[in-house]
Amino acid sequence: MKLARYVKFREEKFGGVLFETRSEKVYTLNPTATAVVREIQAGSDERDIPGRLKARFRDGGGAIEREATAFLAELREKGLVED
Amino acid sequence: MTETASTRGAGPQVPASTPAATESGDLGAPLYIAWQVTNECNLACLHCIEESGPGKAFHDELNDEQVFRVLEQTMDLEVPYLSFSGGEPMVHPRFFDMVEYVCGRNGQLKIETNGHYLTPENCARLKELGVKAVQVSLDGASRETFNRMRVRGDFDLALQGVRNLHAAGVPIEINYSPTSFNVHEIGIAVDLAAELGAYSFYTGRTMYTGNAVKTWHRMAPSEEQYGPFFEVLHAKVDEYRGRMRVYFHEMGLLEELRYRLHHPAALLIVLPNGLVKLINALPFVCGDLRRQSLAEIWGHFQRAWQDPRVAKFVDDLAQDPRKTATLHQWVHL
Repeated sequence: MKLARYVKFREEKFGGVLFETRSEKVYTLNPTATAVVREIQAGSDERDIPGRLKARFRDGGGAIEREATAFLAELREKGLVED
Repeated sequence: MTETASTRGAGPQVPASTPAATESGDLGAPLYIAWQVTNECNLACLHCIEESGPGKAFHDELNDEQVFRVLEQTMDLEVPYLSFSGGEPMVHPRFFDMVEYVCGRNGQLKIETNGHYLTPENCARLKELGVKAVQVSLDGASRETFNRMRVRGDFDLALQGVRNLHAAGVPIEINYSPTSFNVHEIGIAVDLAAELGAYSFYTGRTMYTGNAVKTWHRMAPSEEQYGPFFEVLHAKVDEYRGRMRVYFHEMGLLEELRYRLHHPAALLIVLPNGLVKLINALPFVCGDLRRQSLAEIWGHFQRAWQDPRVAKFVDDLAQDPRKTATLHQWVHL
């Protein structure tokens, strides 16, 4: 999985922004979503990303894992990532 | 130290907006830089908001060294999206070098052109360099209306230019400025854009500024004309949904500016001489790239919007809409 051709990512103090330049849509990302995008850019396997974030953020309740899973699905749905 | 993730606001699925609509608030750099690379143009259009034309290059336009220094800063700050316009950007002597630099550093670049230099060779070069899109101004769906509006322009040449883009595989956008004598062609123009392979079509109200101040009496559409114009556009949005995006600004300038006073867009307008404007529709300048870095200017941008002179100008505009005639009398904040 990688960011789609027309998608640009930039880190910000609050997290990050994803910019789909073809439709000219901007998505503001919270720190969890930003961490997901960083993992995608690092080449992590999509299936491993929620678990990796869970471990890194010591996410005992699983909230971050669920959030990351939902965000990955949303990235696919919006066409912001490709294989 | 333990790294902790916390959610902010509505979570990752914050609603999307366009770069021009995205507020600059906490961003570390602009999301979009609209750069008028020269004021020189091969055409002398009746409605040109920049008063561009043959021999109209500013005497103090950025030199090569300054141009590439600005581009370097733009890429270093990870500004994701730039556009080159003018004037006519393709008459700039370093045009392709500039395109190559931005695309070579993975920037997303849109070219806004009148289409008269879109030869098959130039289109192939743009494709090879990887521009995000080329936006061509096609103000009219016929030779009669286009050539009347675009003085020295040639409808057939512009049309061929768009066809050359399509043949080269460059993504195409079409821009359309309404006048009293082309406004009735809007439906055909949208259809033509789709037929030419465009993926976006842009239009909106023509502004009373630049060359339009002198030609307003013979080219400004009336409110009676704007009514059916926007009705057609609403219908075309539905007709082309999923195939071509039909995008238009129905809102008047005043409403837009009042909104912007409280929600500045993450967008900088760079003039050919390196001055940076708050927004195209205001005369206010918030920096000078010949003397300041892009980062410094971005740091000043938010404060500049709060200058009382900006709000006063917008208030005055409500009383006298013709104040837009003074947009080129720059006010430094």
